[in-house]
Amino acid sequence: MNCEVCQLKELEVEHFEIREVLRCILHTIVFHRALGLVRPKDVDLELFEITYVQCGDIELEKKIDEKIEQFISWVEKHPNKKSQVCLSFFEEKNKQATWFTHKTERLYWEQWYINLNVAQHLKVHSGKSHNSKVVVDPGESALDERMARRAALEASLHEVLFQIIKFVNEKKDHVPPIPHTEGVVYFPHEITIPSSSDSAFGMDMIKRMLHTGHPTMLS
Amino acid sequence: MASSHGNTNSEAAKVMEQIITEFYAKSLHIILESRTPYMSSRNFSGERTLSSPSSSSSSSSSVRPRDKWFNLALKECPAALENLDLFCSQGHFEPVVVDVIMVQRPLDCDLVKCSPKRDLTRNSSLKERYPYCWNYEQDEFGCDAKSEKIIERWVVQYENRKIRDTNSGSRRSSNNNLSTLYKKSMLLLRSLYVTVRLLPAYKVYRDLISSGQIWPFAITHRVSSFAENFTCREEAEMQRFGFTPVDTAGGRLCLSVLYCLSLSDVSSEPSTPMSSQLIPDYVGSPLTDPLKRFPSLPVTGTVAHAHPSSSPFSRRHSWSFDHYRASPPSVSFSPSPTYSEPHTLISNPGTRRFQPKTLPPHPPETSHVHKKDSTFDEYCPSPAVSPSQSSAAPSLPIFIPGSHPSKPLLQSESAPVSEPAAKLANFPAYSNKLNFPVRGTGSGSFKSCKTTGFSQPGTAVEKLFSFGKDEARQYSGVKSSSSSRSFPDDFDDTEFPCPFDVDDDDVTDPGSRPESFDKHVPLCEPHEFEGLFTIKKSQDAAVGALVQMLRKAPPLRQDHSNSVNLSQAGRPEIWSNCSQEPNRSSEGQASVQRAGSSSIVSSGLISSKTTADALRELQGYRDMKNSLIGKGSKPHI
Repeated sequence: MNCEVCQLKELEVEHFEIREVLRCILHTIVFHRALGLVRPKDVDLELFEITYVQCGDIELEKKIDEKIEQFISWVEKHPNKKSQVCLSFFEEKNKQATWFTHKTERLYWEQWYINLNVAQHLKVHSGKSHNSKVVVDPGESALDERMARRAALEASLHEVLFQIIKFVNEKKDHVPPIPHTEGVVYFPHEITIPSSSDSAFGMDMIKRMLHTGHPTMLS
Repeated sequence: MASSHGNTNSEAAKVMEQIITEFYAKSLHIILESRTPYMSSRNFSGERTLSSPSSSSSSSSSVRPRDKWFNLALKECPAALENLDLFCSQGHFEPVVVDVIMVQRPLDCDLVKCSPKRDLTRNSSLKERYPYCWNYEQDEFGCDAKSEKIIERWVVQYENRKIRDTNSGSRRSSNNNLSTLYKKSMLLLRSLYVTVRLLPAYKVYRDLISSGQIWPFAITHRVSSFAENFTCREEAEMQRFGFTPVDTAGGRLCLSVLYCLSLSDVSSEPSTPMSSQLIPDYVGSPLTDPLKRFPSLPVTGTVAHAHPSSSPFSRRHSWSFDHYRASPPSVSFSPSPTYSEPHTLISNPGTRRFQPKTLPPHPPETSHVHKKDSTFDEYCPSPAVSPSQSSAAPSLPIFIPGSHPSKPLLQSESAPVSEPAAKLANFPAYSNKLNFPVRGTGSGSFKSCKTTGFSQPGTAVEKLFSFGKDEARQYSGVKSSSSSRSFPDDFDDTEFPCPFDVDDDDVTDPGSRPESFDKHVPLCEPHEFEGLFTIKKSQDAAVGALVQMLRKAPPLRQDHSNSVNLSQAGRPEIWSNCSQEPNRSSEGQASVQRAGSSSIVSSGLISSKTTADALRELQGYRDMKNSLIGKGSKPHI
């Protein structure tokens, strides 16, 4: 099975925008890959004039939020870096069982790369900041600039969402058959963020691929 | 369904037919659900349609049969299924064209019908009027005239390709074909679900379903199997997005949309125009209270001519309440529109209001102010202010604050208005394949609540300035009570930077006044007014000035031409018109005298009035004077 890869347009975000932006993108992607019975839930972004759709699955929501928090803390520790969040969909297949092991193999069939460039100078609030960066004054004059920047980000985010839609539309053949398992809503997936060890992102990905994941659904 | 294992071709064909039929239904459901306020899945407010608890949570509870199709559970949307058979019957699939239409009521729809304050409607700008037009009431009156614009055109289509493409199909088993078709349809529908929420029309829809405002437009839709072609111009304004077709054994399922790129101009209208109106009313109300006491003043329900004076007064007051207090004489009391005008001019470019007869009550100028604010309050008051029945100038200020403003506010608050309308409106979307425009009532939304604050700097300006519901209520309450004090204070808050800032500047800058004044209100001179304002600081003086102003007001209007002629000295002009015998007799205060003297100079103008008029006015002014003096003297003591 071929693995389709989608590189999403890079977004330049401020620290406090990361959460919303990532939620919006991740949920939108997963919604397109939730082929079980879903009751869509509309969510209006607070920072942008954008409404995105969630599957309405609480577990999924939690999972995504956790990853986002991890990512945010990573960003705080690694300022000035372009970062990438990867959402991968896979199928799990049992490997030939050996004597003592029951291994599953992940067959990745799709990967989404969300590229973020966190603007450091605008990093704000969040009591968490460990290495508080010098916060360049967001003075009065900066207000206009910020608004313009926000509008630009909104447009870019909009673009990214359409990029997702187009990709989903154009690439359908690689999507596995619909899971028939009761209660299974979405395909197994994982969200990968840069590791805290600062190791190369790709290496981290490889490590994770070697791990045995939890069979979320879809056997 | 899709998983059915029918081996025979006929079975497979049937299943495929069913899939396509359901695809039609689901597509329409998704589109209409997010474009017609009545069916809104977002419109939870305890509405009827969504009886099932299914609406919010995903995995729980009841699953209707149709929810299982494509594994997409949607809220009920009966209209989406109506007449579906007209498009899908026995293996024959007609294209379905869904036009999403934005409808605006024409200005001609008289507010009169809608609200008791009809007179006011005249003056109001088009935009201002709009909101009311959409009231349910109005619908009853049958204001049919409206402007429509197709903002989206969705086309769901099954293209039969038996003829030429038969050979292209692979030799897969029918089961595979069906499951693939089903899966791809599912993916397409999910894309559709997301896309529908990303298009500009969704924002409009969202505004409509959220409560808090009445909008001058509504969204309706029309479902048919054919569509008129767009003109080149129309098409140029639209963008096309085509979903990748889903191939079937005998054809392909196509879904596309043509949509307007920008609807912001339309959707933002309601808020902008309203704002300007509000400000004046607001201001006026607080000050007007004291005025109400005077019996002499004509306080009719309707505002005379929509004298600009009233609105300016109010505005000014609202702006600098403290200021007002310090120098009571200057602004607050002058029942005569003329005095207030200078202030208004300063604050609002819309000096035209003041011109009693020639100019329409609602100057277009005000619009710019509106643009800044999408405040609820502003919106409401406008209608009240604009038109005036009675020609008597003085009455205006009083009136506006008391009666009109409150009303509009109430209306706006009563977003529920939309609900009834919605209920009434039918959505026979498909019937007859003809157009079944469903009129939605626009209920404004206060996004501002959500977005306001620094956290959302990026949000539109409107958000920043819009009021929250609570605020609106608060204000409305104030208005109704006509407590002048509370208002100004509230407005002083930085929250409403735009309008207020401007006003303050204007007030402080004498320079600006003359210009506006000259243009629009020849009768009064800003400088004069200013002079009074600065020179007289004692309350007595202020009272005197007030009295004079009151006296002068009516004559000014009458002697419009005269006043213009007296361009030399701004004051003299003003006063001359107003000046009357009572002036001298009334006030002995020096400061007041000043103004009085000017008036005396121009006293010749007085002659224009009839004695009866003069006597009547005199009487009224005396009463007013007495009460004012009494009031003014208290603090001194």
